[in-house]
Amino acid sequence: MATPFAFGEALVLGLASGPACVASCGPVLVPSLLAERTGLRLNGRYLSTFLATRLLGYLLFAAVAWELGTLVSFRTTERSWVFAVIHLLLAGVLLRYAWSVGRACNHSCASPELVTIGGAGKHRIPGAAVLGFLTGVSLCPPFVAAGVRAAEAANVAAAMLFFAVFFLGTSLWFVPFAGFGWLRRNEAVTTVARMAMVLIAFYYLYAGLMTLIRKSVYGY
Amino acid sequence: MATKVLPAREPRSIGRSLLMTLPIALWSFLMFHGWYSRPNRSQLIAGIVTCAFMVVLFFMMMRTWSTYRWRRWFFVALGLLFPVGFIHTVMVLRGTMGIPIEEMIAGRTPFCFIPIPLLILPAAFTEAIVFPGSILPNGGMSGGGMAAMVGIWLAITIVVGKGWCSYACFFGGIEEGMAAIPAKATVRKIDSRWRYGPWAVLLAMTLLSLGLFESAYCMWLCPFKAVSEYVAARNTVGMIQNGIFVLLFGALVIALPLLTKKRTQCAFFCPFGAFQSLFNKTSVFDVKIDRTRCTPCALCQKSCPTMALTEESIARGETLMSCMKCGACVDACPKDAAVWHIRGTEVAVKPERARLMFLYAAWSMAIMFGGSIIAQGLATILHVFV
Repeated sequence: MATPFAFGEALVLGLASGPACVASCGPVLVPSLLAERTGLRLNGRYLSTFLATRLLGYLLFAAVAWELGTLVSFRTTERSWVFAVIHLLLAGVLLRYAWSVGRACNHSCASPELVTIGGAGKHRIPGAAVLGFLTGVSLCPPFVAAGVRAAEAANVAAAMLFFAVFFLGTSLWFVPFAGFGWLRRNEAVTTVARMAMVLIAFYYLYAGLMTLIRKSVYGY
Repeated sequence: MATKVLPAREPRSIGRSLLMTLPIALWSFLMFHGWYSRPNRSQLIAGIVTCAFMVVLFFMMMRTWSTYRWRRWFFVALGLLFPVGFIHTVMVLRGTMGIPIEEMIAGRTPFCFIPIPLLILPAAFTEAIVFPGSILPNGGMSGGGMAAMVGIWLAITIVVGKGWCSYACFFGGIEEGMAAIPAKATVRKIDSRWRYGPWAVLLAMTLLSLGLFESAYCMWLCPFKAVSEYVAARNTVGMIQNGIFVLLFGALVIALPLLTKKRTQCAFFCPFGAFQSLFNKTSVFDVKIDRTRCTPCALCQKSCPTMALTEESIARGETLMSCMKCGACVDACPKDAAVWHIRGTEVAVKPERARLMFLYAAWSMAIMFGGSIIAQGLATILHVFV
């Protein structure tokens, strides 16, 4: 598996799956990126953080799933739980993020930083990091496609390497989003982004709760 | 400062008003020509009544110099009669208002313009249409095919911009009617940030439509599913969807317009309205505030059904891009400072000419789209009695 050919395949798979990745992560990425303050550097930093933690999510998932030996035959029942929890977490983080953006707007400072979520103390985390990680561990269709191929890897390191190269391919599709930094931010853009985040959070909340209810009532 | 009201303008002479109405009368006659030869008596009567209704309203616009109050008669009639004709057709063809999901996927649904913005991203990325409607000619219940309908919408939109929302949309009339019922608004203070609602719905629904590969707005948030065709409630998901539709309809189309005297669904929620606002930049017609005449009495701001006028925009002498060109502010202004305007010309120079040119375009479209819908609804009702 760990041959140049396999890595080439991972890269091509990533490149080919890129639009599906953008479609899958778009509802989370676009409003949160628009809610950040203007500036190419700041938006570049947001995107880098988002993608780095998304990679972390990929690798963590690949490692855990491979170690459990169920990368492909991951049982539907367990997958439902994972889906539900991730969706509920995404909903919670998006709602918190929308609220935090409002606070960040009220407390602007000379050197703008990424919108953070969490308390005012030491343990504040950039929202981009949390959202990137959660979208990384989400089981989107391209992710499953990569998982099927990575399952054939000889060992966990090869599987993770396959995922890393696959991630690189998909990430190229995200680069244009850094251009959002050029967009002028005013109250209208920030408010629209916050409202959109709340709407999308409600969708994830619904999706998570429905999965949980279905699992509890019908057992699937 | 007290507003000095100008003396009421003398009505235009009947002969001159008739002359100005003549092109619209001819257009209306042509549009309803097919209705006169129908063997069904109720359809014949509906065609004649609707044709006369549209011509008389235009005549009154010419005679009284007023736009909004006469347009409102048409718009409310359109909003109320659309569900009548539509539900009847759906019941005859399908036997139920509930549309099964497989019918939606197969594109056997009537055309609706609201999800147009939602299909752009999926189409760009995958060359596939997520909108429940067929792109093939003669596809769907509309008979026209989606590509043709989108083409007609685009052509009209380029001319009238967001005027579409006041002269062609068959949904806005119900809330406009509701908003007209109370004499005064109970809720007068509305946070201006709600104006961004349609843009947020547009952004969220466009992204979710791309992610889920379905028209998320139609599946989850359209208030007008409550009076057109809903998702067949075969399971819990279907019931939740229909619950959301009814809740949104009750709140945005019935309750809030009654409380605020505003078109709340259009002003704070409709994603198509937000998308259509972009085309206000391409339209040659707009509404301006003549700063030399304006004594900031804010009557225009209060009368605007979609909050498209703010203190800042009035100071700039213009409306916001969400202006639907309904004419409420022009009619409300006691100083004739709110005027119709053609881009590239000076403000308040022959504003009546600008109004006329806009109304010829907008009313022709109203007859073409709204007229046939009103006639269809009327024929359905008359069929019970005649």
